[in-house]
Amino acid sequence: MTPVAGGVALNLAFGFSILTVLTLSIYARNGDQRLFLTGQRLALGISFFVFLATFILTYQLIGSNFNIDYVARYTSLETPFIYKISALWAGQSGSLLFWLFILSIYSTITIIQNQSKHHGLMPWVIISLAIIQMFFLVLTNFVTNPFMPTDADFLVTNGNGLNPLLQNVTMAIHPPTLYLGYVGFSVPFAFAISALMNRDTSPLWIQSIRRWTLVAWLFLSMGIILGGWWAYQELGWGGYWAWDPVENASFMPWLTATAFLHSIIIQEKKDMLRIWNMVLIILTFTLCIFGTFLTRSGVVSSVHSFTASSLGPIFLTFVFLILVSSFGIMYTRRHELRSKRRMESFTSRESGFLFNNMVFVVMCFAVFWGTLFPVISEAVRGTKITVGPPFFNQINIPIGLILLTLTGIGPLLAWRKTGKQSLIRNFTFPILSGLIGSAIFLFFGLEGTVVISFSLCMFVTTTIFTEFFRGVRARTNKFNESIFTALRRMVSKNRSRYGGYVVHLGIVFMFVGFTGHAFDKEKEFSLKKGETEHVAGYEFQLINISEAERPNHYAWISELRVIDNKGRFITNLLPEKRIYFHKNPDVNRRQPHSELDIHSTLNKDIYAIFSAVDNENGIAFLKIMINPLVHWVWIGGYILIFGTLIALWPRKE
Amino acid sequence: MGLIQDYSLVFIFFILPIIFVLQPLFLAKITKGKDETDLASLKRKKRLLYRQIKELEMEFDMGNVNDSDYQNSRNALKQEVSSVIAQIKSF
Repeated sequence: MTPVAGGVALNLAFGFSILTVLTLSIYARNGDQRLFLTGQRLALGISFFVFLATFILTYQLIGSNFNIDYVARYTSLETPFIYKISALWAGQSGSLLFWLFILSIYSTITIIQNQSKHHGLMPWVIISLAIIQMFFLVLTNFVTNPFMPTDADFLVTNGNGLNPLLQNVTMAIHPPTLYLGYVGFSVPFAFAISALMNRDTSPLWIQSIRRWTLVAWLFLSMGIILGGWWAYQELGWGGYWAWDPVENASFMPWLTATAFLHSIIIQEKKDMLRIWNMVLIILTFTLCIFGTFLTRSGVVSSVHSFTASSLGPIFLTFVFLILVSSFGIMYTRRHELRSKRRMESFTSRESGFLFNNMVFVVMCFAVFWGTLFPVISEAVRGTKITVGPPFFNQINIPIGLILLTLTGIGPLLAWRKTGKQSLIRNFTFPILSGLIGSAIFLFFGLEGTVVISFSLCMFVTTTIFTEFFRGVRARTNKFNESIFTALRRMVSKNRSRYGGYVVHLGIVFMFVGFTGHAFDKEKEFSLKKGETEHVAGYEFQLINISEAERPNHYAWISELRVIDNKGRFITNLLPEKRIYFHKNPDVNRRQPHSELDIHSTLNKDIYAIFSAVDNENGIAFLKIMINPLVHWVWIGGYILIFGTLIALWPRKE
Repeated sequence: MGLIQDYSLVFIFFILPIIFVLQPLFLAKITKGKDETDLASLKRKKRLLYRQIKELEMEFDMGNVNDSDYQNSRNALKQEVSSVIAQIKSF
């Protein structure tokens, strides 16, 4: 397959996207089914040509065809096979094609899945998806084409190779997962726009997108967690979240999507919050596009961002158009969207959900403001102000703790109204456990936010287990089932509810991990062979510094023996100092990189960074960090994924 | 041989998809009855209401809903499901 075919495929996909919109718009007026079928097939055609273009670019990357500029920029002959594939999303134009590729997968699934369903909604769903595809096709065809030939008047024999930071297995998985999340919200957004166009205010369309929203939310959550995992494993600063603008760009849609997942339950069950749900899904999708703008415009400096490019204004215009058109349509349908039902009581599950929604949105706004403030300040006053982690932590820690509290309160409230007796009965045990927890933590000398966070974790955990216990007890009493049968049937008949509780448990685990950050310790020092150093009750002895030449880098490996304060052997750590592109005759193009080593336990992580090496004197410059409870964050992530899968599992009708 | 291979690839990857897309335009005019889609959406509505009744029963068994609220909500849901069933039967 020649690169020319890739370019032609993208051209055809663009043409098909225009035809899809035109054909289905005419169908929406005259109802001729032939046009609907043609429109459907045109939309499938867009996806087919995008798949073809993506396949051709991947083929060229694997085959090291350096006549294509993109291939020469992001791979070299030495790049390992897996990273030649991941180079597809390493650069600007390739990652935009990859966005389009995922969108095309989702679009194809949506069309095939709904061939005999949602006849009223589907034309506008396909039109909305085709418009989003069209936007990305404009970019990949006319602004940043991944099939552009190499701009050199000589034969390119080898490429630049992939950035060493991206040569990590997690980094090969993290962007696709994040993209699957970002792009996934296009489908619920398209259904929402379609419902607005059709003036369909019934909760039925909500039911159809709940699963899609959960899928997108799961991938976005996984992407964020994997990003944190990559930062922790690769960047060498000992943390997993730095409130970096691009991290925030993924966190903002996650917050609004989480709010949306909660509030659609109310629309599904009580037919309330129709306008609010529309606002949330429009915001979520817009924030996904806005996040892509942040990464690509160069307006913010971040470890993740691509170089500054002309894409910024185009993305910003698209964001503006989405907001104006979506809210414009919503405004014209405001009378149909108005719900007839009202909240009956403050102590109801509906109001609990609404309150949690408000807090999610406030948090999203705080993150949005902190992320954009440096840009706004520079535009208005000409000086760039840095808004760092202290600002975000100061604002978001209290909000996060309020959200954690609501995670515990929500399930204890009944729909419509919770009577005084029910309130006392439902809340007594969880509140008691939180108070006992506080007393224990205070007794052990903990204070401030740490005590509040751990106590709330106990409160929420008790709530979750109480809910499981009461559900099982109700079934065992009513159906005379054994505990395990009751538990299995209860979960399988109420997957979204109990899956949600498992997700809440995952969040609790993560909060335990976040709180552990308060006890972090670190020390920087240098060691000669045989010398020792002490950090937080551990002894580190440098056993050896060895060297190794590998296909894409040269490495110095320091072997550190770790023993605890009782003299027990803990582990041997092998952090590395690497030089990538070490064979490049141009010394300036060789890239140093510290590959760290971590000894991870449930209790704490011992994190070793080999910062520099003095070859002549055999000295290793090291940084050791003791990070308590980090493992809980990753376990929380696994639990969150498990819970979402329970909620996603199809139910028997 | 190379030329034949190139033309075959162009036919498979570019011409065939275009034929596939345009084919419905040459069919006789199809008019899909609105009834069919309405029926499907009514059936989905019925399933949703049944599910809500089951969930309400569970909430009641767990003690989250008091007796009068349970009876009121259950009656309202049953009335709604009866009207949906009646509409389905009328098709």
